Amino acid sequence: MMKEQKEIRDDQIRVLGEVEPQGFFERYKWIILIASAVVVAVGALLLVLNHKKQQADTVHEPALFEPVTTVEVVTDVRKKLGIAVDSLAAGFTELRDTLINDIPLRLYIPHNADMSLHIGRMDKSDTSVVYVAQAADVRADNGGIVGAFVLKGVPRAWGLSKKGFCASIDGKVTVGVAENSPLFEQATEREGYFFRQYPLVKDGAVVDNELKGKAIRRAVCDRIGEIFMVETGTPESLHDFAQALADLGVDQAIYLVGSSAYGWAVDATGTVHEFGEDNYYKGRRRMPKNTSYIVWRRK
Amino acid sequence: MKKQLIISTSIDLVRIAPERIVYIASDGNYSTLIQSDGEMRMLSFQLGQIEKMISSQLGSDGNIFIRIGKSLIINRSYIYYINISKQKLTLSDVSSFSHTVTASKEALKQLKELLEKECK
Repeated sequence: MMKEQKEIRDDQIRVLGEVEPQGFFERYKWIILIASAVVVAVGALLLVLNHKKQQADTVHEPALFEPVTTVEVVTDVRKKLGIAVDSLAAGFTELRDTLINDIPLRLYIPHNADMSLHIGRMDKSDTSVVYVAQAADVRADNGGIVGAFVLKGVPRAWGLSKKGFCASIDGKVTVGVAENSPLFEQATEREGYFFRQYPLVKDGAVVDNELKGKAIRRAVCDRIGEIFMVETGTPESLHDFAQALADLGVDQAIYLVGSSAYGWAVDATGTVHEFGEDNYYKGRRRMPKNTSYIVWRRK
Repeated sequence: MKKQLIISTSIDLVRIAPERIVYIASDGNYSTLIQSDGEMRMLSFQLGQIEKMISSQLGSDGNIFIRIGKSLIINRSYIYYINISKQKLTLSDVSSFSHTVTASKEALKQLKELLEKECK
């Protein structure tokens, strides 16, 4: 396995192929390990000797009941936020409202649905769709997509300006934060989908962003492997939104186009819940042709 | 036989002696390799991935390459001229080719100090 390189800034240089000097632990690793083993062995010997002495000293009386101690290994106390759904049930989006740090959040949790991307106006009569929201940003100067973008294996943009990414390859959705991601290549090789957006949460910690102002915020998140979208009920700064996601226990999260960007979700009863402004692009205001959407469709 | 750098994708492969590489520049998700024979080659890897390949394939022999900032990996054998104030770095064999690239002042200052330290 190749060694992970450290990040580099534009004002730094680095000679390749040089071995980094060993740290204190690396240098004295064997001495520390042998010393630890000796301490453990001496401790164990003393325990055994003490135990034998105690056994000799005490006389056991017959007992009917003895307390039994059971050890339970707790791996992750977090539970998934969405309900458990039969894998054969028709796909839908579960809507859950919650309040984190006084910020009203609506969670859109897709069940039995696959994620893909779409460019251009969405067909509202498409009944296979259970959730749709605008994904990547569009450049103001030339109308191109901001950041790398792969649509069913075809690269449509190559930019690196945003470090957050979301990929859907062979039915597996990955949300992450990285400057370089092999998932871009994989998406092109396996007819997958890939786009970039502002990073919000990386490994449970808030990522600071320069985007200012308050607006309705949206995000796609990964929390213990559960992928869902989140929308604020009130205009929020990006930092407060990211903090709320981190406090929700989200592991990775990247931004989705917020404010008046239009989208909708279909719940278990078939009710359509719209958000944003459907009539935003009207009259002289033309919808950019590269407007992209994250789309969840029934399996 | 001296070690060769191999850059392989699912459909093609580039095999090149390290000393034939003048520099590699970042181009978004791709990189451009400039060869000493004047040829340019587009590689479908990001610069950080190529840096890892150099380190893993060439080991300590990879120290002829220096990563400069986010955008460049240069072959130190061809460093010919550094001008910190103009932020210029010229890579040349002083006979057949000369390429001038730009880098940050701080990075060029560190490069200059590195070369000065090595000649002492």
